Amino acid sequence: MKPAPLDHAAPTTVGEAVALLNDPEREAVALAGGQSLMPMLNLRLARPDLLVDLTRVEGLDHIRESAGWIEMGAMATKRAVERSSLVRERQPMWHEATLQIGHPQIRNRGTVGGSMAQADPAAEYPAAAVALGAEVRAVGPSGERTIPATEFFLGYLTTALAPGEILTEVRVPVIPPGRGWAFREVCRRHGDFAMAGTAVTVDLDASGRCTATRIALFGVGPVPARAVEAEKIVDGEAPGEEIFERAGRAAAGAIDEPLADVHASADYRRHLAAVLTGRALAQAATRAGRPEGS
Amino acid sequence: MTVEIPKRIDQLPNPEPRYIGKRVTRREDAALLTGRVEFIDDVALPRMLHAAILRSPFAHARIRSIDTSEAEAMPGVEAVVTGADALRWQRVSGSSPDGWGGRCPAVEKVTFVGEPVAAVAATSRYLAEDALERIEVDYEPLEPVVDPFAAMEEGSPLVMEANGTNVMMHRVFTWGEVDEAFDTAAHVFTERFRWNRVGANPMETFGTVCEWDPVTLEMTVRGAIQSASFMGLGRAATFGLPTNLVNVKANAHGGSFGGKGGGRGIDIAAMLSRKAGGRPVKWIEDRVEYLTSGGSQAWDRHYEAALAVDADGRMTGFRVTLVDDLGANGEGYGSISAAKPLTAFTGPYTIPAAGYDLALVATNKLPSGPYRGMGPPPHFMVLEQLVDIAARALGVDPAELRRRNFIPPEAFPYTIPSGNEYDSGSYEEVLDAALALAGYDDLLRWRDAARADGRLVGVGVATAVEPGVFDWNAYATVGLPQTGVPEGATVSFDIRGCATVRVGFAMEGQGQYTLVSQVVADYFALDIDSVRVIQLDTLAAPPSFGPGGSRLGVAITGAVLGACERLAEKMRTVVAGLMQTTPETIELRGGRFGIPGVPEAQMSLAQVAGTMLARSDLLPPGMDPLPEATYVWTAPDRTPADEMGRAKSYLTAAQAVHVVAVEIDPDTGQVEIVKYALADDCGTRLNPVVVEGQTDGGIAQGIGAALYEQYVYDDEGQPLTASFMDYLIPTIAEVPRSDKAAVVTPSPFTALGAKGCGEGAIHTTPAAVMCAINDALAPLGVRARETPATPERLWRLISGAGVGASGSTGEEREQS
Repeated sequence: MKPAPLDHAAPTTVGEAVALLNDPEREAVALAGGQSLMPMLNLRLARPDLLVDLTRVEGLDHIRESAGWIEMGAMATKRAVERSSLVRERQPMWHEATLQIGHPQIRNRGTVGGSMAQADPAAEYPAAAVALGAEVRAVGPSGERTIPATEFFLGYLTTALAPGEILTEVRVPVIPPGRGWAFREVCRRHGDFAMAGTAVTVDLDASGRCTATRIALFGVGPVPARAVEAEKIVDGEAPGEEIFERAGRAAAGAIDEPLADVHASADYRRHLAAVLTGRALAQAATRAGRPEGS
Repeated sequence: MTVEIPKRIDQLPNPEPRYIGKRVTRREDAALLTGRVEFIDDVALPRMLHAAILRSPFAHARIRSIDTSEAEAMPGVEAVVTGADALRWQRVSGSSPDGWGGRCPAVEKVTFVGEPVAAVAATSRYLAEDALERIEVDYEPLEPVVDPFAAMEEGSPLVMEANGTNVMMHRVFTWGEVDEAFDTAAHVFTERFRWNRVGANPMETFGTVCEWDPVTLEMTVRGAIQSASFMGLGRAATFGLPTNLVNVKANAHGGSFGGKGGGRGIDIAAMLSRKAGGRPVKWIEDRVEYLTSGGSQAWDRHYEAALAVDADGRMTGFRVTLVDDLGANGEGYGSISAAKPLTAFTGPYTIPAAGYDLALVATNKLPSGPYRGMGPPPHFMVLEQLVDIAARALGVDPAELRRRNFIPPEAFPYTIPSGNEYDSGSYEEVLDAALALAGYDDLLRWRDAARADGRLVGVGVATAVEPGVFDWNAYATVGLPQTGVPEGATVSFDIRGCATVRVGFAMEGQGQYTLVSQVVADYFALDIDSVRVIQLDTLAAPPSFGPGGSRLGVAITGAVLGACERLAEKMRTVVAGLMQTTPETIELRGGRFGIPGVPEAQMSLAQVAGTMLARSDLLPPGMDPLPEATYVWTAPDRTPADEMGRAKSYLTAAQAVHVVAVEIDPDTGQVEIVKYALADDCGTRLNPVVVEGQTDGGIAQGIGAALYEQYVYDDEGQPLTASFMDYLIPTIAEVPRSDKAAVVTPSPFTALGAKGCGEGAIHTTPAAVMCAINDALAPLGVRARETPATPERLWRLISGAGVGASGSTGEEREQS
């Protein structure tokens, strides 16, 4: 289990990294925390000519708040996010999602940008990003651009990043006071990829009815997806078990073709999506309208 | 000269033993935890090469041709081997049952995904793996057979054409009047069960460094090897070598649990070495190789079983029909796992008659290997579910029904219908201890209250016997008819009176070097840290099998004590000469030799040893001056198996009762373990810390089998669980903390009264967890009959959403 021959480059600036990735002579891939890429290299499922190692690039590991957004550099580790009091206080769903990623050893190496760029259908960050309306910043040969998370995940392990583009930052809006949220998943074991999961936010209007509900399912389809029909069922309604269960069923029903593997069939995944969505909506609605920490 | 080995701690020549039976911290750990121990991948020899193995992508295919010329021409590649080399150098391997072995790499055809087809030795593992990509193999795919019932049908593809059938063995065992028991029973409970493939997963995979000299034909094998001498004998047989040409130097290894198979890895590395002029060749099995093609898989079983119960709730007969899918051949000795249940067939119960219809079937899957417990854990899962089915039908508390059927303490030694003899036990005492520790009555009240609220909660009580100290006669039914498994030790003092013990097995994790030190230290009243334990190569060591079959603790204690007795006798003779008296007058007590009651007639160990080695002028005429003795222990009074496989086989019978409470999420099928308590009796606990560690590990693996682990194949025989993302071993987050109670009923047959306990809780945990799950499901009228009880399987049962392949609704056939 050793990689096929390859070269290794360790640039120190984003510009150098982009240049290396765009070498027309070589097939290059970017290496972040290596939690997915290294096994693929060792299994020889990935066979690049050049590994562009981003660990020494300056300025990619910040975690900060700016104008209502939490900005995380692509190379910020999940462990750093987990331990950030800023994230825990201002973006608690992102914090909760982080806790459910793998194990401490994985979070020590794995990065925010790596998770997003890998786009595993069962990964936590992509789902949280879609539910929260996050944005992704990328730098390529023609400069920087910003991509909404809802437009970033195109298919199974496929993103809107162009060849030769580097994801540099993920920015997530802070959770405003009064917005309820929940992040739930079902795994075979603690730390596994989810068989199904859901990320939910709910606001309550002045009359106590749900509004601006956002639901993103993961682990069930090729990409994390908003359950728009289910959101519509909830919006305008008073929180209640019956409405949340109905929304859960609608969310699950809208999944095109659920994934299936040795851990869970398509039927079971769909069922879990319904159950989790119902439970997550209830939890989010309970949190909504309350000051944080209660 | 016969040697009397102390059967109780108070028979040691030391009134104040400080270590045996005490919680002694393992002496191995400081070196292990600070990286001072050499594991196989640490070994680096001059001019060493690195091997990689090309494996079959097909479950069943004919090999039309192999072209290795491009690989051989690559710089850094020093040797390539294929089936052609195996054909030249190897005999057909031994197997169980007989006639189901082969050669490696594959000759003519491959019979499972991952079977070695060729191998390369190069100056680095990277180059070796690059070279594998340049080997061209032309396969003709054949139809595979992956289901054992399909494999038994007329016209099925044949895994080994020459055998004319896929049925490796079919035998029907009858012990006692089992037909009559069922004909006359008040109640008969019948159920089918499916135990899916699980297996050993040590932290360290297998690895070896082999040197095979092409001139002298001497073979030196290093490796992560569980039983060094057995491995050496196997290699000699495979290559047709005199056994004294193969020397095995086993490295300490990071666990085994039976999974350190590795014989074929050694064969490949050895052939590469010979082709490379005798240069050392290292092969380290990677995790994907381990999971798909290594010693990882065992117990792929389809059961139909029945329990006959009389009107008073006494079990009168037990019948088991087992179809055991052993995979592509019998080289892995998976058949032993089907034979071993004979040693404890009726568990802790007085069931007088039993029957076993056993079919071993070949399919195009990885050959089944050994795994901790070696077969009884699924058997007890089946028996214990039937006991619960009976209890529920009869309206008797499951703990009470078990109590009613226990072998009583006064009945030991007790011979079970399938022939083995249990040494001792106090089963009700263990049950009471477990129930008390678990707070059983409170648990039942909690369950009933939660159930009234509509929750799915259940309490399981399960019990099992752990056969300890294996003997080959237990496996006579599958072709291993020998009796006796020797284990030896040499105890010596040097000229300064320092003690060294030489043994033939490597450190594997069970604290056996600590145990050896405890025994010697207490026998001679030494400080434990002054005893050195050294491992010898197979050609230097006394006969040794090493760890396996819950034997080594008992066996090595017997060997070390035997050697101590012999050495003390020798030293007594010397002391008697010096004190001008007879050896019988001299007593060893508290580490000093002398005449009892005469303070001035006492000598220290160092004085005696020093005299023997440095003052030959003072020794009795003809006296051997070496303060050293060897003793080879083997289990006493074992008997050859009769035509029904009956034998006095395993020497000891430990017993345990586990109590588990679970809650199942009815919407997701997830199981939460709410409570885990157990009591066990493994006789004298030589080191309670080690016993508890073995118990914790057995629970973890039992939880894995009951809830998480399963090797999955698709219809083409492709393994779908080739990484730890898909083959789910429980982590610390999934394994419950358990409360443990100990009952001590010493064995009357062993050194110091200890019983084998190394396999331990894996015998009971899967049964107990499944009992608890089925108790939780009982109000729904459904029954979990397949392991692992995954969330999806339980959700399907709960929701009635569908019936799995092995069925899922329970029915008992009652006859009146």
